[in-house]
Formats: sequence, structure tokens, C-alpha cells
Amino acid sequence: MSQDREYRDEGRMDRNTLVLACVAGASLLLGGCIQVKAPDKPIEINLNVKVQQEVVVRLQKDAQSLIENNPELFPE
Amino acid sequence: MTRKSSLTALLLGIAAIGVAGAAFVAMPARAQSDVVASAMAAGTVGEQSDGYLGIAGSVGNDVHSAVEAINIKRRAAYTDLAAKRGATVADVAAATGCQTLASRVKPGQVYRIGTGAWQTKGSGPIALPSYCANAN
Repeated sequence: MSQDREYRDEGRMDRNTLVLACVAGASLLLGGCIQVKAPDKPIEINLNVKVQQEVVVRLQKDAQSLIENNPELFPE
Repeated sequence: MTRKSSLTALLLGIAAIGVAGAAFVAMPARAQSDVVASAMAAGTVGEQSDGYLGIAGSVGNDVHSAVEAINIKRRAAYTDLAAKRGATVADVAAATGCQTLASRVKPGQVYRIGTGAWQTKGSGPIALPSYCANAN
């Protein structure tokens, strides 16, 4: 009878191990997921610097002509 | 309405400055640029990256008013070009500043980038602000 009980205990332990393994497996699966979460704040992309640079670069030729056409304003 | 009236105010302001400049500076344009050229050679006046002339050392009243008069005329020229290109006056002025620093300031003359200290140009090219890319 005591042997029988021991056997049942062993059986229960196996079930516990199984439950544990399942939980561990489930958490592993969950942990392995890539979590995509929407950011709290809106994403801001600052293009001002780039835009200013493009404008200034675009104006270089005009600036050069302006200097050449107004030599009295650009003494050397 | 506010935009138009502020524009009118701005134009009136520029006109007023122009009249005041003309009244104070009875010097012909040629003499103005000669006076400034000498001051530039002496290192007391220099080009700035903002497209205007600046005073780097101690100068007499004649140099001071010649610099102001030229800057007023430059601003008028920048304003014209800005209107033609749909750009801001500051951008046109900055583009011109890139050009003057890249190709007009001679070794030994002084120049200033932004609000930094006045520097004397050496034998090499001036390290231009990054927005001046392809200034030549």
C-alpha cells in the first residue's frame, strides 16, 4: 500500500513537471515573440536642416552672379 | 491684412534706413568700397558667413558708415534675389556668404563664421559651414 502511494506520488510529480514544462514552454514562446508596440509620442522627423542646405546650395550660382554684378558692394 | 501691413511696414523701414544712410553717407559708392577695401586689408573689417560685412577692430566713423551703407545695399540686393527665387533673404544672404568666404577673402584678411570669433585667413581654404556644400 505504501508502495502504491509512492507510485501515485511519483505520478503526481510527473504531472507537476509536465505543467511546469508547459508553462515554461508557453513563456518561452511568448518571450520569443517580437513585440511591436505603438510609440506614445508621434514620430517627428526634422527636415529643416536638409531643406535649408538644399536652398542655399541651389542659390550658390545666383549668389555668384550677384557678387559679380555688384562689385561695389563686394570690395576685396 | 496683417501680412500686407507688416510687409508695408518692413518696406517703409528699409526705405527709411536707406534715406537715413544716404543722408549720413555723402560718399559715392566707389569711395565707400575703397574705404572698406583698405579696412579689409588692415584686418579691421571682414566678411561674415551671414553675407554681410562686419567690423572686427577699431575703425573710424568713415569706415563705420561705409560698412553700414554697403550692408544696406547688400540687403536690398538679397531681398530682390530672394523675391525672384522664392527664398528667404537670410538664405540668399547665407549663400552669398558661402561665396565670399570660399573665393573672395584673401589670405591675411579676417572673416567670421556665425557668431564666432574673427579669424585671419591662412594660405588654405576657409572651413565653410556645412550648409555651404558645393560652394565653388
